[in-house]
Amino acid sequence: MRKSHPVRRVVLATAATVSGVVLLLSLKPASDPAAASAAGAVPQQTAAGQAPQGAAQAGSATVTGDAAQTQYGAVQVRLTVSGGKITKAEAVQAPKGGLSDQKTQLAVPKLNQEAVTAGSADIDAVSGATYTSEGYRKSLQSALDKMKTAAPPASGSSSSGSSSSGSAQARTVTGKAVQTQYGPVQVRITVSGRKITEAEAVQAPKGGLSDQKTRLAVPKLNQEAVTAGSADIDAVSGATYTSTGYRQSLQSALDQAGG
Amino acid sequence: MTTTLAGGRAARRQTMRRIRPRRSPAVPLLLAVWAGAAAVLWLWWQNTPSIADDTGRILGAGRITGLLAGYLMALVVLQMARVPALERRVGSDRVARWHAMSGRYTLCLVLAHVFLTMWGYARQAGKSLGDIVQQTVDSINQLPDMGKAALGTGLFVVIGLTSIGPVRRRLPYDAWYHVHLLTYAAVFLTFWHQITTGNDFAVEPTAKTFWYALYGAVTALVVWYRILTPIRLNLRHRMYVEAVIEETPGIVSVLIGGRRLHRMGAEAGQFFRWRFLAPGMRFSSHPYSLSAAPRPGMLRITVKAIGDHSARLRELEPGTKVWAEGPYGALTAQRRSRGKVLLVAGGVGITPMRALFETLPGGAGDITLLYRANTTQDLALWDELAAIAEERGARLMYAVNSPEGERPDISAENLRLKIPDIETHDVFMCGPPGFAQSVFEALREAGVPARRIHHESFEM
Repeated sequence: MRKSHPVRRVVLATAATVSGVVLLLSLKPASDPAAASAAGAVPQQTAAGQAPQGAAQAGSATVTGDAAQTQYGAVQVRLTVSGGKITKAEAVQAPKGGLSDQKTQLAVPKLNQEAVTAGSADIDAVSGATYTSEGYRKSLQSALDKMKTAAPPASGSSSSGSSSSGSAQARTVTGKAVQTQYGPVQVRITVSGRKITEAEAVQAPKGGLSDQKTRLAVPKLNQEAVTAGSADIDAVSGATYTSTGYRQSLQSALDQAGG
Repeated sequence: MTTTLAGGRAARRQTMRRIRPRRSPAVPLLLAVWAGAAAVLWLWWQNTPSIADDTGRILGAGRITGLLAGYLMALVVLQMARVPALERRVGSDRVARWHAMSGRYTLCLVLAHVFLTMWGYARQAGKSLGDIVQQTVDSINQLPDMGKAALGTGLFVVIGLTSIGPVRRRLPYDAWYHVHLLTYAAVFLTFWHQITTGNDFAVEPTAKTFWYALYGAVTALVVWYRILTPIRLNLRHRMYVEAVIEETPGIVSVLIGGRRLHRMGAEAGQFFRWRFLAPGMRFSSHPYSLSAAPRPGMLRITVKAIGDHSARLRELEPGTKVWAEGPYGALTAQRRSRGKVLLVAGGVGITPMRALFETLPGGAGDITLLYRANTTQDLALWDELAAIAEERGARLMYAVNSPEGERPDISAENLRLKIPDIETHDVFMCGPPGFAQSVFEALREAGVPARRIHHESFEM
């Protein structure tokens, strides 16, 4: 029954909400403090400055990507490729000085590991080292691009044949990069005995909304490709463009594998 | 003399034994609501290790507003689920005001969430604020459940627009009410994108479980208390119009018969939402207070013919079937904390006061009723009130305009003059908002603490 003051209430609610949100946002650090401090005891293991090697191994080559500039310095990735597969990834350049040393120490080994495992630039950012991760990804992509121009997909598959020692029939084929409205999509498949044993996207739309969509759609598409064994796969709803591009690139990879 | 005094004391003690004030659960409920909001913010805090730049800040603000909106939306629906603890303990009027306030606030949060998130996405894709519309269209096309969410948000905006003061006053009540029912559809449509695209629910299975539990519980309460409980009540009691009586020009009483009506659990001072199954009336239900304590075969409401609906009550045929939901309202004897009670009625606000005047326990002189009306002809139910006063030894006073149309002076001095120990009374009050406000101020000035002035107002 006390007098109500609608205007005062609106002003108070707005001010309280806005200042609360701003306070929460400003309390968040620019980079993850837990990750940075945890890096304290990690031994120094930056890959920068190591002499290029690998010429000794038959069928393997090193490719160095373009240096990608980040807010904290340049990142440059060098790959050792054997039989169309990344066998080693290292950072020739990475941010240095101050906090960056710690972050580089922490992030670069993880990123190297991820690059080898993924075999593509589709790797997760290391939390607390977003800029370094982003630069790493860009340089890695450029290295992969160079690798492809140097050895086109068809010859890539033949070189895979020459270096294969374990599984006689398994080989990887990379499809054409298909341009979509949101960026290129490129599919790489591992074929064993005329069956697709593995499918992955070497390239997929990135940035903004696309990150979320790629995260949602690509694993499903990979799964579908392996299950269907052909390019006759369903589009993932909400990611039609990516799905269409994926399908086309997959078809081109299958054409190469079949031919 | 001594015997009378002793008898008076014994009666007083008897009365006091029957007064068990129950505290309103409003404070613990509000604390729980705040704790829930804090938990939601904590969820965001846990899942956001760092924010690198302005885009991150914009998206962070978008996530916070989105999470809070999703949380509050469940509570806004819960407030209208007719949960007895809210309707009968906190009070339907207070809960309705909470609902209006939090509804507006939630709508603002939803709009802020949409704007901030789309702006953030546009920035991430290297576009400017001007591309926000295109970004929204893209998101709707590409992200899961976003089409539904956009439709739901559109409904929220329509519901919000029809509830703005001037628009609502111009709309017929039924139109406004049926648009408002779309809230359920809107909440359903917007729920799914929270689960499928919400960052915090993607990474935290516990959070997802909690969210499902929150919405599931609210759905269960709505189904139980808004649908099943009324069906059971009406199947059990089978109410119908027994008679319509004109009390004074413009004020009618409707007598309602049915089975075992005393078993409905209704108390004096409470109301039901009534739906009369007569042509042109079956699609709207209206809240009217009981104007007499419930009897085994009879309920009575007394209504002033001000609106379209209340004017039609006069033409109700005996035998018309009645669908009722209730009882609701917290203006009951439970609120009382003292032995002495002053009831203040303005105009047709006499209805719940009349029921309380008859039933509030108390000895001679404990209960006083002050009845305000324009003229003595407008004092509806006066004969009954006089009879009750006579029988109980209660005091009955009225205040009407002078023959020249001058309003009576209900001031602190006058109140103290008539009721010297007014500050020891509990006051129950029902009347038009302006009247209630001025009496409230006079009572406060006369020394009655605000916590002992019990009032129900359906003004927003």
